[in-house]
Amino acid sequence: MSIAAISFFFVCGAVAIASALITVTQNNPIRAAFSLLAHIIALAGLFIGLQGHFLAVIQLIIYAGVVVVLFIFTIMYIGPVPKPESAGRPSFAKLFSIAGMVVVTGAVTYAALGYSPALKGLNTCPEAVAECGQFGGVEAFSAALFRGGVVPFELISILLTVAVVGAIMVARGRLIYREKPRRKKQELSIENNR
Amino acid sequence: MDMILLVSTLIKIAFILVLILTFNVVLLWVERRLAAMIQDRIGPVRAGIPIFGYNLALKGLVQPVADAIKSLWKEDFVPPNADKFLHAMAPLVAVIPVIVAFAVIPFGSSLYLNHAFEVLPPEPTGRVIPLQVATMNFGILFVFAMGGTGVVGSAIAGYSSNNKFSLVGGLRAAGQMVSYEVALGLSLVGCFMLYNTLLIEDMVRWQIENVWGIFLQPIAFILFLTGSTAEMKRVPFDVPEAEAEIVGGFVLEYSGMKFAIFKMGEYFELVLASAVIVVLFLGGHHLPGLTDRGIDFLGFAQPLWHGAVVAIHLGVFLVKLVLVLWLQFMIRWTIPRFRYDQIMKLSWRYMLPLALLNIFVTGVVIMAL
Amino acid sequence: MVATYLPLLIMILVAVALALTLFLLAVVLGNKNMTPEKAMPYESGQSTGDARHIRLSLTFFLTAIVFTVFDIEAVFLFAWAAMFRELGWFGLMEMVAFMLILGVTLVYAFRKGAFEWEK
Repeated sequence: MSIAAISFFFVCGAVAIASALITVTQNNPIRAAFSLLAHIIALAGLFIGLQGHFLAVIQLIIYAGVVVVLFIFTIMYIGPVPKPESAGRPSFAKLFSIAGMVVVTGAVTYAALGYSPALKGLNTCPEAVAECGQFGGVEAFSAALFRGGVVPFELISILLTVAVVGAIMVARGRLIYREKPRRKKQELSIENNR
Repeated sequence: MDMILLVSTLIKIAFILVLILTFNVVLLWVERRLAAMIQDRIGPVRAGIPIFGYNLALKGLVQPVADAIKSLWKEDFVPPNADKFLHAMAPLVAVIPVIVAFAVIPFGSSLYLNHAFEVLPPEPTGRVIPLQVATMNFGILFVFAMGGTGVVGSAIAGYSSNNKFSLVGGLRAAGQMVSYEVALGLSLVGCFMLYNTLLIEDMVRWQIENVWGIFLQPIAFILFLTGSTAEMKRVPFDVPEAEAEIVGGFVLEYSGMKFAIFKMGEYFELVLASAVIVVLFLGGHHLPGLTDRGIDFLGFAQPLWHGAVVAIHLGVFLVKLVLVLWLQFMIRWTIPRFRYDQIMKLSWRYMLPLALLNIFVTGVVIMAL
Repeated sequence: MVATYLPLLIMILVAVALALTLFLLAVVLGNKNMTPEKAMPYESGQSTGDARHIRLSLTFFLTAIVFTVFDIEAVFLFAWAAMFRELGWFGLMEMVAFMLILGVTLVYAFRKGAFEWEK
């Protein structure tokens, strides 16, 4: 990796971590959603660093353009949230989540530093090799998905259907909407003659 | 570091910035004059440069410049109860992605540095400079990625202004933009299938070798034109800013340059959408009768220098861009505003199924041939 | 890598610089003359209270959900269209099945009145 790639990685990583922390600690929900947007953009940068070109642009289209918008819509329904009064001492849940965070961070660091046997045998793909340069592109992605993953791909459509059915169930209930019957031309003309 | 890459990139970016900022001023003027002519008015004629007691108004061309200067010194109003951070961020979020999206638009054919002052040989060698800032693997998807982020700008502008009109406007804007984003994306899939690529430069090349996209994908063209007009929130789809009912919508609590940044963003989007139409449907920089090596039209052949050909290509692209923009203006000033439920119905009930049908028919026809 | 993304990075930096310059010019040059009347939210002269709390139509929420689903479909279609000729008839049939299932979803949403605005 060149110095440019490494510094790019560190800048994106720092932004991602900082904005993720802001997202979870921010009390104002819409500001949290906004820093989530920054986090997602930084993640897209990290994907580009890993040759995941198509994944990066998917990240921007789906997460930045869709999921954040969905969150903002939902937050607009809630309206302003009253400021929570600061608790005297940290609750059990807070302590527990901090402990969990420390454990996960430690495990990831351990793995990343190369001590984990699982990552020892991982092959890397130098960019100079032609197939590796194409690895994260659109063509490679769609060849893998539409040739190798037909069944999962078709199942995705079922999953998406379930999401829509669920949302409509929550919002509209068991009603069936019927369009008002169209009035016949005769009636209309009578009305016009009046 | 590669100096040629760096310098050529900087020149291209400077060109894009100058182009869109000039277009911003000129389009504002053209739009006002055109609106005045369509509505049988005179339009802006007062603002001018006083020279020797004579007011040099240039038919109102000075007006946008005066507006820009005025908006800089106008009061920078931030509502005291607003979320000040988000109120400040919203115009930036709305405008920055649109400017960045211009990076993938090819403005002309590639320039071979070695052959600039001679007729292009059959096998050109040496350094090639594409007239496009970034050539990325995902090509046109980048435009969608950047356009999608623009929704966030309108939504948080509406939310953070602490005003009911703003909130309603922001929500309407977000709802409308997301509805048309789907139809907009799906309308282009037919073109991608036809060109069998996502790279914009390859799409232009395909159209030069075969035929312009508008003749093979007319439904996609109409869907894209409609969808992009709705995405830009221009009349007839301007309910998010409907002056008569919600007095400007999400831009209501913005003043001075911040308001101008929103408006500038809209004009940039207009230029961007028109540029996408030119490269996807109108053959980009292609002019029938002009090849890479000179004029070759109905038996009349005249070899030209490669540099001159590239310059002509650039000019052709700009002329096409202006023509599409003119079409957008004519639509803007001749059709009255739709109702919100009509807008939503148009997108989900008509445009989306039509786009899916277009994809299906295109697929079957290409496969069968 | 560098040749591909360095120009994009420069473009992003230039865009941010341009927007920030205009923005800061407005903040620096614009005069500030706030009065209590001016500070009120724009309305017909009466106080609107906390304006962020109003009742909104649920249709916006349903629109956002259906949008999420169909934008995901669109991304799959983008990837598929780029390889359309290589995937051939098999790919076309695959995608037709996918589109049909989601078409049923769209019809269902219509039948349930997900996009209806009037009461």
